[in-house]
Amino acid sequence: MGLVDLKQVTKVYGSGHTAVTALHPTDFSLQAGEFATVIGPSGSGKTTLLTIIGSLQQPSSGQVLINGQDTTNFSEHQRTDLRFNTFGFILQGSNLIPFLTVADQLALVDRFNHHKQHKMSRDSLFTMLGITDLTNQYPSALSGGERQRVAIARALYNDPPIILADEPTASLDTSRALQVTELLATIAHKMDRGVVMITHDTRLLGSVDTVYEMRDGVLTKQDAAGVKKIRAAAI
Amino acid sequence: MFLAYKEIMHNKARYLLVVVTFVLISYLVLFLTGLATGLARNNRTAIDALPGNYVLMSKYANKNLLSSVITKDQYDKVSSSDTALLGQMTVVAENPQTDKKLNSNIFGIRLTGALKPPVTAGRMPTKNSEVLADDSVTYYGLHRGDRITLNGSSQKYRIVGYTRDHRFATVPVFYTTLSTFRQIRFGSAQVPNVSAVVSKKKLTDLPKNTQQLTKAGLIENIPGYTAQTSTFGLMIGAMIGITLLIIGIFMYILTIQKVAMYGVMRAQGIRTSAIVTALFWQILILALVGVGIGNGLMIATSFVLPKTMPFYGDPMMMLMITGALVVMSLVGGLFSLRRILHIDPLEAIGGE
Ligand SMILES: Nc1ncnc2c1ncn2[C@@H]1O[C@H](COP(=O)(O)OP(=O)(O)O)[C@@H](O)[C@H]1O
Ligand SMILES: [Mg+2]
Repeated sequence: MGLVDLKQVTKVYGSGHTAVTALHPTDFSLQAGEFATVIGPSGSGKTTLLTIIGSLQQPSSGQVLINGQDTTNFSEHQRTDLRFNTFGFILQGSNLIPFLTVADQLALVDRFNHHKQHKMSRDSLFTMLGITDLTNQYPSALSGGERQRVAIARALYNDPPIILADEPTASLDTSRALQVTELLATIAHKMDRGVVMITHDTRLLGSVDTVYEMRDGVLTKQDAAGVKKIRAAAI
Repeated sequence: MFLAYKEIMHNKARYLLVVVTFVLISYLVLFLTGLATGLARNNRTAIDALPGNYVLMSKYANKNLLSSVITKDQYDKVSSSDTALLGQMTVVAENPQTDKKLNSNIFGIRLTGALKPPVTAGRMPTKNSEVLADDSVTYYGLHRGDRITLNGSSQKYRIVGYTRDHRFATVPVFYTTLSTFRQIRFGSAQVPNVSAVVSKKKLTDLPKNTQQLTKAGLIENIPGYTAQTSTFGLMIGAMIGITLLIIGIFMYILTIQKVAMYGVMRAQGIRTSAIVTALFWQILILALVGVGIGNGLMIATSFVLPKTMPFYGDPMMMLMITGALVVMSLVGGLFSLRRILHIDPLEAIGGE
């Protein structure tokens, strides 16, 4: 049993003439300690896949199992709590609440953590991410890279088993992007989390365990040869 | 509370606008309320002080005490230990030495009877040439010891004492004897008419051509009273309604601007209820601060208002108005509630 199991999941936006099939029947699974990445052109359905995994929306058909539990028919309320407890999101754009300092972004998590489960210590997180000096800053005062690192801290703070990152490196230069990717790899490998990262930057595949390619709503797992080909294409 | 407070403190300028709106609205509404209360009181305190709830007046007076005449035949029929005679007349009081003139009333009563007002300074009159004045006459330059004329009378009347909060039809009342009232109203102390009979008990078997009113009925029929109170009531009610709209729309616009941020929060698994709670905390904080300042300003203003200004800050009224403003602004938050309930966590992703 994996952390995530998608079985024949599809997604169709709209209906009738305007229906768009963003996801054709897709199987996907993620294990603890695995760093998976999904690459593919814009509009191919990567975000759609991630939002279905992350319980941000429901599939049109198929089954979504999280920790072996079928979440397909969860209520909005159950899905909210599932997101809070199970997933750490790192989104492409703004992940942070503009009127909270870095420290308060995390303090907010404490306020809503009804289950009082074990959390990572805030200070060790900040040290690991190199943002100790930023605790009293507002997001507007941070650089893109700093913001993403704070977003990662925020995502990890609640100790979720699964981290979902949608193009977390899009606004970063290459060295920063590599740093963030390395960090996500560390989180998967050293902290035994399942990490899914969407990217269209194929230079970042060095420390990745599994590579998927998405094309027109069809997800294909790449073998070593496929990964080589993709990386070669990038150079 | 955490989210609400942090956001206000981080966007002080924006929320200051909301607070200023609250200050201005509450100040205006409280001022109107004070004026309305003051004017209403100036019309009615002397009537409120009457020691019986029933008033017998002549039928043709059209419920207006100023026009009522009750003859001896009529009041003899209902007189008992529960009734008292009242003579009322609108007069101009003048201190001929200072030329100070003042619109006022005289209430002719039996000086030792049930209608005797409480004396706050000086003493009760003991003879026809003495009067007891509502102490607001001092605002207009008449004082204890002054000898005044009433409607240009050759007879002078000495103000021998004061009472407080006894005004009728917006002007102060001079209490005097029934004889003085009759002298001025009918030209002779021998004419035994009065204006009305005040009774503790409801009168049965009314004399011919008379009509019984309650105190409330009498007050409502003071010329201008009802028009005035309903006009003020309408204005105050409208302002409270406008508060709902202004604050509601204000908060709605702020909410719309925050939809993407709320989407992020929803994506992170923060419940809608937490966002809604923050919204209403925010309104409550802003309203309490704004209305609090409005109250403070109003209290400060009331100390510098001229005494002739018919302003009366009744704490109960002010509290009710303040409460109504706060409640209305919270109701205004319901506009935003709809939008927040429809926030989709996907909005955090949108816009790529
Ligand atoms: N909320 C939506 N409503 C309608 N169509 C959508 C919505 N989200 C995505 N799509 C469509 O689904 C397809 C896949 O989109 P998306 O998953 O965002 O792709 P990617 O993340 O790979 O760029 C696109 O054609 C997009 O226009
Ligand atoms: Mg996308």
